[in-house]
Amino acid sequence: MAQLMSPSPFAMEQIFNSISLGLIVLDAQQTVRMWNGWVERHTGIPANQAIGKHISEAFEELPSRAILNAITNTLNYGLPVVLSNALHRSPLPLFQRNEHEPEGEKIRIDQSITITPITAEYGERHCLIQISDSTTSIKREKILRTHSEALKREATTDSLTGIYNRRFFDEHYKMALGHAVRHSVPLSVFMVDIDYFKEYNDSYGHVAGDKALIQVAAALRKQLLRATDVLARFGGEEFILMLPNMAPDSAMLFAEKLRMAVWDLNIPHINSRICQRISVSIGFSNFYKHPDVDANSLLKCADAALYEAKKAGRNQSQYLPLQNFNISSTAPAGTLHKTASN
Amino acid sequence: MNSLTELHLDALSEVFNVGAGRAAASLSDIVGEEVRLSVPSVEIRKSSEIDVSSMGLQSERFGAVHQTFSGSFEAEAILLFTEEHALEIVRDMMGSQISLEDLAEFEQEAMCELGNIILNACLSAMADMLNIPLNCSLPDYSVATTEEIFRRVSDDLEQPYVLLLHIDLAIERRHSEGHLIFLLSSTSLKDLIIQLERFLGAV
Repeated sequence: MAQLMSPSPFAMEQIFNSISLGLIVLDAQQTVRMWNGWVERHTGIPANQAIGKHISEAFEELPSRAILNAITNTLNYGLPVVLSNALHRSPLPLFQRNEHEPEGEKIRIDQSITITPITAEYGERHCLIQISDSTTSIKREKILRTHSEALKREATTDSLTGIYNRRFFDEHYKMALGHAVRHSVPLSVFMVDIDYFKEYNDSYGHVAGDKALIQVAAALRKQLLRATDVLARFGGEEFILMLPNMAPDSAMLFAEKLRMAVWDLNIPHINSRICQRISVSIGFSNFYKHPDVDANSLLKCADAALYEAKKAGRNQSQYLPLQNFNISSTAPAGTLHKTASN
Repeated sequence: MNSLTELHLDALSEVFNVGAGRAAASLSDIVGEEVRLSVPSVEIRKSSEIDVSSMGLQSERFGAVHQTFSGSFEAEAILLFTEEHALEIVRDMMGSQISLEDLAEFEQEAMCELGNIILNACLSAMADMLNIPLNCSLPDYSVATTEEIFRRVSDDLEQPYVLLLHIDLAIERRHSEGHLIFLLSSTSLKDLIIQLERFLGAV
């Protein structure tokens, strides 16, 4: 219970008018008995004009039906009422103060309101309306939410190239493989490696190396058509792609499309032993109704195919069928399908 | 006289269903579509005899809106909603797409309001029909586990009686169940019975 040492009415009035909370007191007839400084400032209506008026006529516009009902209920039953900002937004015509442009557009304040019964002289029931401005807390929450979304995005993005990172790939690969197993649909995985990238960095420097990685990532990304396709940076100069529902024949064509997309960038590379431009090697495999496949074997299989592509001279795509890989976990001779090379 | 007869319970049921009707009307106003609210059962128990299953609490965590009231009749009211269901309803009411994990300050405030509307409607119906004037605190919202609620109810020696209402709340495709718990002292229970007798006599 609040107590004042010397309850001077003058001090009380100053307190009510300086508090940063809207205070309105209504009597049993819903006539305004108090209208503090905060309400004056946010309505532009001075207390001496509002006091004595019925609440529905005190503002320049009619308050919302919800708050008028709430006031009636509080006065009739003596029960306190909460009007949350989430469900009502702005029940009273209160406006943000705009000193710079007094004639500018008026912005309504987001409000949180509580209405509590109070006992006046002679036991009559009045009610106190407290209005707080929730604009700042809403703004704060929006900022926090935007930050948390940005952090979530950053946690799954490769900061250099802007494509997904390995963490994102690992999480989604498990789900995609699970989906492929349950629904008996194919899932293809492509590993892409830039040829002689160490030599590129040595001749052109790391800044140019980073630039090349960005260009290659962008070229690969352009080849993706469906929302379920995922491209991620897997390691230094290595990229990985995962495409659900791709038929094995199309996978061959797609691998070549990827390889050609990078080739056509025509990024000069004087120390490449292929040709004097940047090229990639690609290994790929696919899962389709294979029994007892564990999550790693498809990745290992694509990796083995990539190894073969490099061994066979780079700048080419190699396909290693998963069933052949599963038999002996190293690529048996004659099972690799070389697609092309420039 | 410490127990309620079938007739008393019927009368209470009627009172609370009037309250539920009022709450539904206010909620429909806010949501802009039909909200249906009913109180299918009312029971009274000794808090010492209460256990988790008899309270019909099937969830682990609840959103709890709490108000205390006083006057000629003193009690504490706790309205419990399965946290997830209640938030879904609040989100529907707000039309927002925020995930439940990111429960924000202003959604909690909305939960408070939802509870406040239902509690006030029930209390105002009691005030009207049983002629019991009431004073009441502002609601507060918290998230509580089943055990915490159970402990809260059974450890209260001052208020050995529990009036338990089950509430059905439906907004369009959503459906939720709530539990309204009144903790009553022996005196309050006696007062309640006297008022119920008066109400039944007058009908």
